[in-house]
Amino acid sequence: MAGILAPGLGVLAHLERLENQMSRSRKQSEEPQSVQAQERVLGTKIQKLRHLRDDLKAAVRHRRGSVKACIANVEPNQIVEVNEQEALEEKLENVKAVLQAYHFTGLSGKLTSRGVCVCINTAFEGNLLDSYFVDLVIQKPLRIHHHSVPVFIPLEEIAAKYLQTNIQHFLFSLCEYLNAYSGRKYQADRLQSDFAALLTGPLQRNPLCNLLSFTYKLDPGGQSFPFCARLLYKDLTATLPTDVTVTCQGGEALSSSWEEQRASHETLFCTKPLHQVFASFARREKLDMSLVS
Amino acid sequence: MDETVAEFIKRTILKIPLNELTTILKAWDFLSENQLQTVNFRQRKESVVQHLIHLCEEKRASLNDAALLDIIYTQFHQHQKVWDVFQMSKGPGEDVDLFDMKQFKNSFKKILQRALKNVTVSFRETEENAVWIRIAWGTQYTKPNQYKPTYVVYYSQTPYAFKSSSTLRRNTPLLGQALTVASKHHQIVKMDLRSRYLDSLKAIVFKQYNQTFETHNSATPLQERSLGLDINMDSRITHENIVEKERVQRITQETFGDYPQPQLEFAQYKLETKFKSDLNGSILAEREEPLRCLIKFSSPHLLEALKSLAPAALFSRIQKLLCYSASHSQGTQDLSSYVPLYTRC
Repeated sequence: MAGILAPGLGVLAHLERLENQMSRSRKQSEEPQSVQAQERVLGTKIQKLRHLRDDLKAAVRHRRGSVKACIANVEPNQIVEVNEQEALEEKLENVKAVLQAYHFTGLSGKLTSRGVCVCINTAFEGNLLDSYFVDLVIQKPLRIHHHSVPVFIPLEEIAAKYLQTNIQHFLFSLCEYLNAYSGRKYQADRLQSDFAALLTGPLQRNPLCNLLSFTYKLDPGGQSFPFCARLLYKDLTATLPTDVTVTCQGGEALSSSWEEQRASHETLFCTKPLHQVFASFARREKLDMSLVS
Repeated sequence: MDETVAEFIKRTILKIPLNELTTILKAWDFLSENQLQTVNFRQRKESVVQHLIHLCEEKRASLNDAALLDIIYTQFHQHQKVWDVFQMSKGPGEDVDLFDMKQFKNSFKKILQRALKNVTVSFRETEENAVWIRIAWGTQYTKPNQYKPTYVVYYSQTPYAFKSSSTLRRNTPLLGQALTVASKHHQIVKMDLRSRYLDSLKAIVFKQYNQTFETHNSATPLQERSLGLDINMDSRITHENIVEKERVQRITQETFGDYPQPQLEFAQYKLETKFKSDLNGSILAEREEPLRCLIKFSSPHLLEALKSLAPAALFSRIQKLLCYSASHSQGTQDLSSYVPLYTRC
């Protein structure tokens, strides 16, 4: 029975197939034509785009050339097209330089994760000397975390007085002490290094450089008696001594001219920095020598 | 040259190892270059010593010269002694300290010599404003014993002095008095701090243990240090608890810093605490009085050991314990806010 029905189905399907075939072949015979047309259209489009590309390339080349010519004629600070990166780098360098320059103010600082690290740069007579740091923790109470202040500077006393109530006063007071100490140390160092020829013995000094004791002669090779000087700096915020005693090692009564000299030396040490006094001694000595010869 | 002096010098030189001998003799500066050149240091030690003694005799070495050699030997071998720390204080409103080394030495010597007729006192100044004092003790009737001296290292214009601990404790009060009066202080107190390492004691007491400071010139901001985690690890594998590890690293760095730690060997705390308990009827929690105990940490290098505990995650517990016990231990001085630094015998 299936065989009888199937031919019926089979026939219809066959017919459908044939119909499809026909419509396909019809299309195919049409396609070459539309395809060709499409090809032609695309081809012209491609050519147009190529032309456009070439025109643009030429325009870019032209532009570049003219810009270069411009730069060659124009001064550097009139260039508008500065590289953005370069501008930022320049700004960074400027800021760094400004921060470094703060060192010359004597007191600068940098914020840290816990507070601030204060830097005190000491100076004397225009010479930049040692730097000292105080790392502060900003908490209640304000606290010093660590520092590089020498142990003989009364940091704890100053902190006890001012740190909690007036931090500005604390910093300025500490600056005073450190600058004065640096200044005294500088004078003592200069005396030892530059005027060793005028000293007849080693310079006695202490850590704070607030007691100096030395013997010196105005004419190193000569016959005069050496002088003994003892300088006391009772004011730790000062770079000039508070008490000066000059004696003559001879001990016995001096002639009036020696006495005059002794007294004038005492005054000199009280009023002028130590190394400057010795510089004037050295100049006088030179003058005397030149007069003699 | 006195026989005792000769014997003393001989015993001192014998202690010096051969490789240090020329350095120490040069530092002593008693025998001249020429004299030293005549010595053959490659001989057996006994022969070298004999020759040196002979040279010292030629130059008539005194007891003071011998004492100076002893000081230099001790300076080179500081860690062979255990050092105590003493702190002096002035009265309120005292004058500025005008320290005069000559005056100090004379005063110190006089005080000791007045109290004990027989005592040898010698001084040697060093570059860092310190003076080493060597005291050999005798009594009214016996000569000073040169082989059991006490050393004191005093930093002028500071309140601190370091003393080598010795068995002759009866002279300590006199020594304290001499030091106090000569340096124009009022009182002297022994601190709860002792160590073989003078440098570490100095670092702690002068608070010089961390000398790096943040400035605008410093290259790396301190917060952005690399963690030191295993960079070879596959980047696809994330570290567990990376946040926690970073936190621990940061706290360790803030507490201990990047500098080498002072070398402490032990730390001891007195702890007074009460116990809390959730359970009813816990014996410890019911006590009226707080519990008092003594906690002792010891290690060849205590602070480094504590520092390395951090990655082992034991750190937070230790830190809590230390901070807590710092506020309770007696006779304290807050030398550091994080790690109380005390050693006690």
